[in-house]
Amino acid sequence: MRRERLARIILLLILIGIPIAILGFQRWLRPALSPTRVIDIVAAAPEAGGFQPGAFKVEAGETVTLRFSSVDVTHGIALGPGLGIDLGYVDPGHVKEVTLTFDRAGTYTFYCNIWCSPNHWRMRGILEVNDPSRILPTPQRDPVIEALNVEGVNIDADHTTSGMSSPDGTPVQQLMFAVRPSALRGATLSGSVNIPSDLNVPLWRRSHTPAQGLALLISANPTISKAEAADVVAYLWTKDASPATLASAALLYDKNCAACHGQTGDGKGLMAGLTIKPPAVFSDPAHMFIMRSDVLYAKIRRGGMGTDMPNFGTLFTPEETWALVNYLWALALDRQLGK
Amino acid sequence: MLGQQRIDLLQRVPRLKPMLKSRLFPPALMLVTLFVFMLAILSGLFGTPAGSRNFGIIFVWIVWWALLIILLVPFFGRAWCTICPIPAPGEWLQRRAIVNRTSGRLRTLRWRWPRRLKNLWLQNFGFLGVAIFSALILTRPNISAWLLLTLMIMGVALSLLYENRVFCRYVCPVGGFIGLYSLVAPVELRVSDPQICASHKTKDCITGNEQGYGCPWMVFPGKLARNNYCGLCLECLKTCPKNNIVINLRPFGSDLLVAKERRLDEAYKAFIMLGCALLYAGVLLGPWGWIKQWANMDTLPHWALYAAGFLVINLVVLPGLFWVTTAFARRLAGQSISLRHLFVDYAYALIPLGLAAWIAFSFGFVLVNGSYAPGVLSDPLGWGWNLFGTANVPWTPLWPTLIPFLQVGVLIAGLLFAIHIAYRIARQNSSGHRQAYLAMLPLGGFMAAITFMFLRLYAG
Repeated sequence: MRRERLARIILLLILIGIPIAILGFQRWLRPALSPTRVIDIVAAAPEAGGFQPGAFKVEAGETVTLRFSSVDVTHGIALGPGLGIDLGYVDPGHVKEVTLTFDRAGTYTFYCNIWCSPNHWRMRGILEVNDPSRILPTPQRDPVIEALNVEGVNIDADHTTSGMSSPDGTPVQQLMFAVRPSALRGATLSGSVNIPSDLNVPLWRRSHTPAQGLALLISANPTISKAEAADVVAYLWTKDASPATLASAALLYDKNCAACHGQTGDGKGLMAGLTIKPPAVFSDPAHMFIMRSDVLYAKIRRGGMGTDMPNFGTLFTPEETWALVNYLWALALDRQLGK
Repeated sequence: MLGQQRIDLLQRVPRLKPMLKSRLFPPALMLVTLFVFMLAILSGLFGTPAGSRNFGIIFVWIVWWALLIILLVPFFGRAWCTICPIPAPGEWLQRRAIVNRTSGRLRTLRWRWPRRLKNLWLQNFGFLGVAIFSALILTRPNISAWLLLTLMIMGVALSLLYENRVFCRYVCPVGGFIGLYSLVAPVELRVSDPQICASHKTKDCITGNEQGYGCPWMVFPGKLARNNYCGLCLECLKTCPKNNIVINLRPFGSDLLVAKERRLDEAYKAFIMLGCALLYAGVLLGPWGWIKQWANMDTLPHWALYAAGFLVINLVVLPGLFWVTTAFARRLAGQSISLRHLFVDYAYALIPLGLAAWIAFSFGFVLVNGSYAPGVLSDPLGWGWNLFGTANVPWTPLWPTLIPFLQVGVLIAGLLFAIHIAYRIARQNSSGHRQAYLAMLPLGGFMAAITFMFLRLYAG
């Protein structure tokens, strides 16, 4: 009789006790035992729902643990802007977590940073930090983009090799280079040429194309060959970025841009064939010589209208965006990359 | 090879008998498997949908399947049925006890199982029904869990309506093929002396006594000549007052040569199992991604085409080709026995080939995916647990270069054994060696052709 009673108790434990124990532990006991508030975020490809929950709020000063899991394919989880949090790959059925304390109000984005589906770029969620004592800061307009708007620059001007037009809308004669411009060669030449003062001003270079810089340089140095001038311009457009900046930008580029634009910037990323318009080719100096840094910056932060280029302004800080722009110049102009 | 040599394990290992006669056996083991089963259902319903990180998928379709098809069935026959948790709750409800022998009749509505369903046809169609959804069942934890739950609910429901293990005997889609392949196994439960049973008036093994219940599988051990309908529950070992039950070690495939009980439903089970192994190998492990997508129900019309093809190949094409082969063998050998009779008889030669095919198929994914098991053991629901510190054991295929050799070896062994069985069956239906040999040639050719298809799939 004792054996039978014991068997019945075990049976009840199996049929009722285990489900209650497992589900109860996960739903109630585990959060209760955790020293921080635990928020479970389930990642699925955007067509299957994206992040669940897609948005949530935490309080400033509150320590929260964000637990990310994937239910379908491998996702890459990162948080930004300015948090510098990249959890790396989260494989299906695996969980990765990060514990954070936000000291002030703000809006952040958690996002997938590896290509997970044709709608990968939609895979974003919003984390809002409330501070009861302070009102959420009003989103600031980006001064660079504002300035471009005031200037009347068309950020969405076609960037493909066909139908090329300059950011300010004027027709552009694409430059032809017999030899690829090289910042490395330009560095050695730069000491022996007369560099107009504008070209030494970083803000001027941001708002002008290398082609404009090339014209200035040639007019100041009538004897210089076009190839040598292009090398010097390449040097000037890439010299401000430190190797460390380029290295961190390379990581951002590889994770967020390479799927379409290609790891070398050749526009032949694995997913290039899926975009509405061909991705920009950053490794092509002819193309890049008619681009402006501030326009590249604006395209990254705001996205490209009429293309599949998503906005990254909610993911990256302005500094990170400028670093990315510098990285694009480095890809185009034979600057030694910081990888 | 298939002589009458037998080794009585209960005599050879004296400690075995008291253990097996205890009423704790097999309920104690069933509770263990029920625990695992429950965890599989829970993880399927509530855990991660990622199959590779879900206990339900990994432990049911990789660990359990590997144990079943590579170890238990070929070497121990119906041993899994002894400890299977699916019929357990229903049986315990019938008995109103888990361990004890309760007095009185089983608590059921005592409906009578229809006579025309007292065969394998339900199990045949049940297996095919599961098979056409298998690409979904094997990879999606929730679907897998619902299947397990449905089987258990069916087990309980049928136990409430009918006496004994009607579910196991006539319905369970797994039990059907385990029974068929248990004919190959080198273990059997039999009686030591059939005369003792014949002359025994009370037939305690059928009616039960205070030591145990009457056979839940509705089998009379005194006339037991084959393994396929004995679930090895060992109630007869407990109830037999004559000490006449033995568990023998015997040559592989002995039951395949028992001529008197061969039936069309069993022959069809052999076709279905061989056909499914071939189709699974092609669909799940083959290079044709589009078939896999169809099987995965990328669109309903695609899946309908796939399912129709699957059923036609299993129920019409393969048996049809075998019918033609048998007709040719009959003509070649000049046999006068009816074609239908030979068709059924010769189909039993496909059983070892089918079993070998399933083992080879299983090697293909069990060794590759077995390393998922430690991870899900620590984190059964994919919730980020790490119970035993093995949650992050990386996926590492085991001996991937060895797999094709294992597969080829098993398939060749299965083919040779199947040809041997075909000859022995032909001998039963022939006047002499020459006639049997001639009959065997087309059958061997048919089986060699099937084996060649597997070899193409596995070894390229």
